[in-house]
This record gives sequence, structure tokens and C-alpha cells, in this order.
Amino acid sequence: MKRGNSNLLTLKDSAFKYLGITCLVIALSVLALLIWDIFSRGLLRLNWSFLSNLPSRHAEKAGIRTALAGMISLLLFTIMVAVPIGIMAGIYLEEYGRKNWFAKFVEINISNLAGVPSVIYGILGLQVFVRTAELGNSLIAGAFTLALLILPIIIVATREAIRAVPSSLRDASYGMGATKWQTTRRVVLPSAMGGILTGIILAISRAIGETAPLLVIGALAYVPFIPEGPKDQFTTLPIQVFNWTTRPQATFIVNAAAGIIILLTVTLILNSIAIYIRGRWYKKISY
Amino acid sequence: MTHLQQELDQLRNSLLEMARLAANQLRKSITSLLERDEDLAHEVLFTEKRVNSFELQIDRECELIFALHTPVAHDMRLVFSTLKINADLERIGDYSEGIAKLVLMGGRNFDDELISKLSLRPMFETAYRMMEDITVAYSTDDSRLARSVYKRDKELNEINHAASAIVVAYCAANPDKIAQALYLLSIIRKLERVGDHITNIAEDIIFYKEAIVLKHTPENHGPEDSGI
Amino acid sequence: MYKLETREANLFYGAKQALKGISMGIDANAITAFIGPSGCGKSTLLRCFNRMNDLIDNTSITGSFLLDTEDIYRDVDVYQLRKRIGMVFQKPNPFPKSIFENVAYGLRINGEKNKTLIADKVESSLKSAALWTELEGNLKRSALSLSGGQQQRLCIARALATEPTVLLMDEPASALDPIATAKIEELILELKNKVTVVIVTHNMQQAARISDKTAFFYLGELIEYDETKKIFTNPDKEQTQNYITGRFG
Repeated sequence: MKRGNSNLLTLKDSAFKYLGITCLVIALSVLALLIWDIFSRGLLRLNWSFLSNLPSRHAEKAGIRTALAGMISLLLFTIMVAVPIGIMAGIYLEEYGRKNWFAKFVEINISNLAGVPSVIYGILGLQVFVRTAELGNSLIAGAFTLALLILPIIIVATREAIRAVPSSLRDASYGMGATKWQTTRRVVLPSAMGGILTGIILAISRAIGETAPLLVIGALAYVPFIPEGPKDQFTTLPIQVFNWTTRPQATFIVNAAAGIIILLTVTLILNSIAIYIRGRWYKKISY
Repeated sequence: MTHLQQELDQLRNSLLEMARLAANQLRKSITSLLERDEDLAHEVLFTEKRVNSFELQIDRECELIFALHTPVAHDMRLVFSTLKINADLERIGDYSEGIAKLVLMGGRNFDDELISKLSLRPMFETAYRMMEDITVAYSTDDSRLARSVYKRDKELNEINHAASAIVVAYCAANPDKIAQALYLLSIIRKLERVGDHITNIAEDIIFYKEAIVLKHTPENHGPEDSGI
Repeated sequence: MYKLETREANLFYGAKQALKGISMGIDANAITAFIGPSGCGKSTLLRCFNRMNDLIDNTSITGSFLLDTEDIYRDVDVYQLRKRIGMVFQKPNPFPKSIFENVAYGLRINGEKNKTLIADKVESSLKSAALWTELEGNLKRSALSLSGGQQQRLCIARALATEPTVLLMDEPASALDPIATAKIEELILELKNKVTVVIVTHNMQQAARISDKTAFFYLGELIEYDETKKIFTNPDKEQTQNYITGRFG
């Protein structure tokens, strides 16, 4: 009787295992298919002229220079706005805030904000930054909008990283007569930095791919010049790709594919850096 | 060096001092007899208080080491043995006091001829050498030296055994000197007891060093019974 | 005059009373042990002396705590207090920094900038903690690369760097193996000359081995406080005797 049972159990075990593997294979195959499709279309298009040319109506001459410039400038401004605010907000909420029902309420809401569809941020940005603040559809308006979008990610990452610092370290610092700020600056933050950096990088890699909110605030699709200041109009790589995919000519599809490869590569690099930093950080603080 | 080791060294030193004290008491008590020195006998009586208070001090040291350090293995055996040796040394001190009192009671009346017939001087010398050896044995953890006292204790027993007949004969021949003869007999008895206590100490040293219990085993203490 | 003293001290965590009317004096340059079963209040009392309980919400304290006859809750600034009183915790908690930076931490938060002075004090603290010869060459190594026993001695060195006059130790050896424990105990005995030590321990033999006076606590009350020799040979209270002979708790 027992043997029969154990055979059944082993069978169930194997069945689940194979089911899992099958699902994984399906998911990975779809991904592999997509990547193969993109690469087969766009890989050959990648060359220096593609990267350095301005956009043009002729697909062979069109390049992503302005899109790259716009993307980099946009990211820089976004980081300058979102990172300091996000980190400090995270520190305040985690270290200094009183742990009452209100704090819990705030925490839940911030986590929710990270999941709000990005186009909502675009609408908010349009009304507040573009129209009311009269910033127009400029880099700075885009930066503020994106900053709002990634702020919850940075705040949550900062809080998680700070929470991961063992309270025994804080005890040791206080025990030596350090003030709260000294403890935060000298012990908590250095220990949490790995987690915070990881959060920032992941936030950036999210921001890179954002198209919808930028379209809403009016980022242009065809920008034949490089933005020079924060008040200038701009475009980004995802928007450029989007623009190309709406064109009927097949050659533009190739361009789009090439642009997607660039985007994927950048995202992959950023995520790898984040994973590397996180790995080293965990090793450092785990006791 | 750990705290415990310091306490144990201190304990050993205390016991060695106690041993020297007891040995001195013994030596002075017999010397006061052999040289008719009453002052020396008084000194022994006076010093007896010191012996007693030393015993209490060592008892307390052992108690504290057990309570505060809970020693194990050979540390425990050391404290255990020291506690028992302490008691034996105190008894040796008592006997020395007893001998001194008898000396004072006898005054100048002791007969040298009887003393030599009884082999009192050799008996004392053997006992005193045993005391010295056992002190060295404790100090150097020398269980072989400790064992060497058993054979000599037998000599003491023989002298003690022969003493009765000698004294009876002497008393019959010298009826006016019965008192001092009886005192001398008592002194012999006490010296024999001192020898017994020294063999007890030897057993305690062997227990400490080898974790072997030799108490209450038959006369022959084994092939190691060499004597030196 | 006592180094540390409490008079009629009561402590409440919310509604729960953790300390009940504790009055006792700690002698200077002596090792005082707090023993008692879990939850008896010994760690709570220890943490009152350097006001670490202030960090826990909802605690309230009545009665007085004195350091060198000054009231530490009313007359002394809490940050100054914690520089005069060092603390070592149960689980070694070195900062994830280099050995040097760990020991220098106390000096740096005091604003000390003189590099030679810092280096000298780091050296003398490591020597006091019997770590200097083991580590001398390599102070830039991460503190986390040390063994558990070494880490705890590092924490002691770190606490000693600001030259406190009192060292509070909350079960400092309970996370360590017997050899490391023996080294810590030896260290504590050596430190007696320079600092007053108060040590909480659940290991009674440890209290017996190293302390001069022992205080037995039960359910927030001080049951008996006397010379260690007396407590372990002939305590006055039956409760004390039952605890140290292992009959309860």
C-alpha cells in the first residue's frame, strides 16, 4: 500500500517539475522570438552614422543623435531633481518619522504611486508644469514629470535599504553618544548606500523607457536640433522609435528595430550594474 | 594566567606554609623533650593557635574556590585533596601540642636510658623526614615520593608495637619512675598517629595526581611501594 | 561614594512595570554582576544607566539615577553621558567599516580631527582590549573579517576609545564559544583597574568567576545584592539560593 502511495507522490513531484519547466520554456521562447525578430531586422543598421545623424525624412540618413541627446539631458535633469528629494524623503520617513497610523497611511500611498500608470503622470505634468507653471513642453517640464514618476521608486528603495540596516548598529552608535543625524550620516547611510544606489539605477532604467507621459506633455516626435537648455523642446529615443514605427516605409522599421536594440542594450547594462551593486552590498552587510 | 590558576597557586602556597608550620611544631615538641627545653615546649603551645586559624583560612579558601570557580578534573582534585590534607596537618599540629604538654608535665624527670630503649629519637627522625618528604611531594606533585612514606610508617608502627613491653618492664624495675615512663609511652603513641596522618596525606596527594583512591586498601600498597 | 547609584527607580513600558523600586549603589573600579531569570529587568536596569531606554517609545521612569552623584536624567546632557559610559552588547556589532575606523568612531563624532591623536588612541584602545598584537599590521581590514571573539573585543576597544569611566556589558560573551568567552573574562578582569564594570549575565558561573558584587533580580525587583563570595556560598534569601542552585529560572 505504502509503495503505491510513494509512487503517486513521486509522480506528482515530477509532473509539477515538468509543468514548471514547460511554462518557463514557453515564456523564454516568446522572449527569444522577439529578440531574434528585432535583431534580425535592425542589427545591420547599427553603425556610427546611425548614432550620430540627425533625424531625416530619408530613412538611410536618419539617425538618433537628437534623441540620444534629449534622452541624456532629460535623464540628467530628472536625476538632479528626483534623487536628492527621494533619498531625503526616504531618510525622513524611515528614521525621523513617528511610527503612527498616519505614517503607515503615507507608506501605503507611496507604494501605490509606484504602480500608477505612467500616462497619469503625463496628464498631471501637462496641467501643472506645462500649463500652470508655464514651462511649456520643455526639457524641464519633462524632467519634473519623470521625477514625479520615479520618486516613489527611489523613496521605497531608500526606505527598504535603511530598514535593512540592523538596529544593533544604531544601538552601537547611540551607545557612544552620537546624535541621530551623526548616526544616520556615518552608520546608516553608508550601510544603506548599496540598496539606495540599486534603487536609483532601477528608477533610471524605468525612466529611460517612458514614452506615454512625455508624449502627453508634448515632447515632439521630430526634433532636428539638439536641445541646448532646460527650456528647449526635446525628444527621446522611445519617442523616436515610436515615430518611426508609424511611418509606412519599410526602411523606417529597420531604423526602429535598431533603435530598440540600443534601448535594450542600455537597459540591460543599467540593470546589470544594479544587480552587481546589490550583490556586493548584501555581502557587505549580512552578518 | 587565568584567575582560577592564581587562586590555585595561592591555595598551594597556603598549604605549604601550613605544612611547614606543622613540621616545625613537631620538631620543636620532640626537641623540647630531648633537650629538656621547657621554653621550646611553651612555644609549641603558643603557636598552636596559629595552626588552628590557618586551618580555618585554608578551609575558607577551598570553599571559595569551589563556590566561585566550580573547578573540574585535576583542579577539582587539587582543591579536594588540599582540603583533606589541611585537616590531617591540623591533627599533626594537635599531636605536637599534646607532646609539648606531656613534656611540660614530665619536667626534668625523663630518663635518657628509657628514651633510647624506646628508640624514640630514631622514631622522631623518621617521622620528621616523612613530614619533609610529604611536603616536597605536595609541592612538586611527586606521587612516587608520596608513596615512599608507607614503608617508613611501618617502622613507626613497629617501634610503637614494641614500646608497651619495654615500658612494662621498665615500670616493674623502676616503680618510682612510672609517671614519666607513661608520658613517654603516650608520646610514642602520638608519634605513631602522626605517621598515620602522613600516610593519609600521601593518599590524598596520589588521588590528586593520579585520580587513584588508595584509602582502606590492604597493607600492601602495591609494587610502587618502594620507599627511598 | 558610589560610582553609579539608583534610588527608588521604577520603569514602565506603557502600562507594564519592568522595574520596581530599585535602590542600589555600584562601587567604583569593581565588577558588579546582574543575574536573574529572563525578563527580570536586569538588562532594562543596565540600559537605564546610559539612558538607552530613551530610544524606546512609551517608556517612563521615576526615581533617580546618579553617576558620580549627578542625576543623569536631569543634570547631565544625554550625549555627554553616553561618552562617559560605554556599552557593549550581546551580539558583537562592529560597524561595516575598517578596524581602525571602528575604534576611531567615538573620537570622530566628538569632533576630533588630529590624526596623530586619533591613531594613538586607537592603538591604546586596541591594546587595552588585548587585540593590538593580533591585529597590528592590518587595521585597514574590514572589521567583519574578524572572528566572533575578536569582533567582540573590537567592540570593547571601540567603547574604551572615548575613555569612559564606566563600562556596561549586556551578556557580552553569550554569543561566543568557551575559548573566546575566557578571553573576554580575562579582559574584563584586567579592565577593572581603569573602569567600573557592570555586567549582565545569565551565566551564573561567569558572575561567580569574575564579579566582586552580585545583584539578583526577579520580576523587576532587586532580591539580594551582596559580595559575590557571600551570594555563592551562603545567600541570605532562599529565592537567591534556589536560582543559583538551578532549582528554578
